[in-house]
Amino acid sequence: MKKSNLKLFAFLAVIMTVGLSFTTLKKITVKGSDTMVILSQKWAEVYMAKHPGTVIQVTGGGSGVGLAALLNGSTEIANASRPIKPAEVQKLKAKFKTQGIEIPCAKDGLSVFLNKSNKVSELSIQQLGDIYSGKVTNWKEVGGDDAKIRLYGRESSSGTFEFFREHVVKGDFAANVQTLPGTAAIVNAVSKDKYSIGYGGAAYAEGVKDCKVKKDAKSKGVLPTAATIKNKTYPIARYLYMYLKSKPTGETKAFIDWILSPEGQKLVVETGYFPVK
Amino acid sequence: MKKILFTGLLFVSCLINAQEVTNDTVKSNSVDTLKTDELTRLKESVDDHSMKLAGYEERFSALETVVNELSKIKVSGYIQAQYEMYDSWASDGSQHGIPVTGSAYEDNSFYIRRARIKFTYKPIDGVNFVLQPNFEVHQVTLKDAFVQLNDRWLNTFSLWVGQFNRPTYEIEYSSASREFAERTLMTRTLYPTERDQGVKLEADFATKFEIPLKLQFAVLNGNFGEGALANQAKDVDNGKDLMARAVYSFKFPSKGLGIDFGAHTYLGNTTVIAQTSPVTVFSDVNNNSFTPNVGDKLKKELFGTEMQLYYDFLGGLSLKGEYIRGTYSGTTNTAQVNTLFNANKVRNVEGYYLSLVKNVGKVNEVSLRYDVFDPNTKLSGDGVKTKDDLKYYNWTFAWQYYFNDYIKVMASYTLPVNEKSLNAGADYIKDKHDNIFTLRLQARF
Repeated sequence: MKKSNLKLFAFLAVIMTVGLSFTTLKKITVKGSDTMVILSQKWAEVYMAKHPGTVIQVTGGGSGVGLAALLNGSTEIANASRPIKPAEVQKLKAKFKTQGIEIPCAKDGLSVFLNKSNKVSELSIQQLGDIYSGKVTNWKEVGGDDAKIRLYGRESSSGTFEFFREHVVKGDFAANVQTLPGTAAIVNAVSKDKYSIGYGGAAYAEGVKDCKVKKDAKSKGVLPTAATIKNKTYPIARYLYMYLKSKPTGETKAFIDWILSPEGQKLVVETGYFPVK
Repeated sequence: MKKILFTGLLFVSCLINAQEVTNDTVKSNSVDTLKTDELTRLKESVDDHSMKLAGYEERFSALETVVNELSKIKVSGYIQAQYEMYDSWASDGSQHGIPVTGSAYEDNSFYIRRARIKFTYKPIDGVNFVLQPNFEVHQVTLKDAFVQLNDRWLNTFSLWVGQFNRPTYEIEYSSASREFAERTLMTRTLYPTERDQGVKLEADFATKFEIPLKLQFAVLNGNFGEGALANQAKDVDNGKDLMARAVYSFKFPSKGLGIDFGAHTYLGNTTVIAQTSPVTVFSDVNNNSFTPNVGDKLKKELFGTEMQLYYDFLGGLSLKGEYIRGTYSGTTNTAQVNTLFNANKVRNVEGYYLSLVKNVGKVNEVSLRYDVFDPNTKLSGDGVKTKDDLKYYNWTFAWQYYFNDYIKVMASYTLPVNEKSLNAGADYIKDKHDNIFTLRLQARF
């Protein structure tokens, strides 16, 4: 073989190798629940380290945003911290002729955050509902100091917002709830404000204290722990879901199977959530 | 000499040291001054920025209030612009197309089928106001206008008051999502213009109770879509019509299968609100003549079943069907006339459809529908004396291409095949050529 041909061959081989290496990259897009962002990123990080040919792109935005992205085809997996709504299923049926695939991938106790120096450490669901709907506005009404309650919450596109509204507030939030993007921001705000209250995923509770939650006035207050969420004694627990428009195949299926495997579920525990099995 | 030199050096050394001490003192003093100045400037800057931030916060709060209010209003809508070709011939082959005003016939046209904007205002949780006008070349008509109250305690019940879709599957399945150019002849005839005015109670047990059951119950004027628009603004006969529907969804996630089963009924009347002189004679379900009096109520009772199957097979597939039968009545009275049931008659009617839709890849969809409507089940073949009593078997083939989530192109071809009769007019001795091709561009937002 001539030297010039050899060079050409080597050059083409390099081009093809580089080209093929790009074409064999498998990309999975995950979008949705802000509560699940840390967990999802952890899953993606570990999975990508084990499978270098796979690229997993994780973004938040809220459960509603994720499901909307699934419906408009801009994401493969929608993370949601609430179950899909009947209206969203109807849209899946209309557009994709499927009813969608629901995969519960972790359990979460929705924590109520209080500042560490707040005298109050226990509230019933009714009291929480009254606080967030604006019926109770002073800590002294629930056994605390004579100080105005400052409310922090999530945006309306958040699954956490919807879950909390449906299961705790059971109506409209008070107009003075300050909305923040993500549970981490809420925890940060509550940690700096003695007379504030917030809610969000249990995995984020650092620098604040978890409030014991009572199912009703007569019940005993329960902290969100692995045991209380598993045995359902903690009253504000929920599943975290992944939604797909149709049965996963190829690398997406492998990624989901891995998430549900003991290895994937171990990361659930490490991130502060609770495994589904 | 050495002593003098030593003394001199010592003096110089002391002088230098003294100078350094002086310099240090001066330097220290100037650094302190600098630090104080800088701190003052920094404080001023912080104060300035704090004031600016407070100003921004105030402005942001005002803007947030406006944005929060605006976020309660949702605007959506769609436009369907299309080109149609009508393969319609007179029996003697003399005229091609469908008649328009006067004697002209048209066999193709551009047409704006829909131009709708839907406004939804949600002032508080659980309350929706919906307003949907339809813009046409010559008029603007009101399609949806209702208040929806959702129960906030059980998340199960919702009450609708105003003008809204009648509760059947094909009607509630939006025109913007539909895979065929038009609804079936059965639905278009039995539920003209889809909507009616009244009150509707819905119960969806899926969210709170995790039971995939939906119930709908409606009390309606019963005359919407009939007669002149002005007559549709209010009830024309005092009598209210009732509708009820139930749908249960089965899910088989491991098989990627979902099946919805349902049934509905329509219980109403066509009241004879006027008689002519000489009297108008009607025809009953057995095709016998009778003369109703003013105030007589002619039966309008329908019973239907439905099924929708969704199968996660190579990108999604749906198989849908509805079957409706019952007794239906119509009148030529201009205040009540249904243009697709335009005769003074009471008839036993029957119809059904089956549609198959398959997604092909991510952007293509092919569809096939077979629909049948018999406006008079008591007569067939040559026994049919008027074209209005002829049974129709319609085939529709369609293809849709989705540019993105907002824009799609549809090509739809409908082949109506009529029942043949020697006594229903020359056009219907054999199958009338009346196929329609539609090429539609739809944009939604």
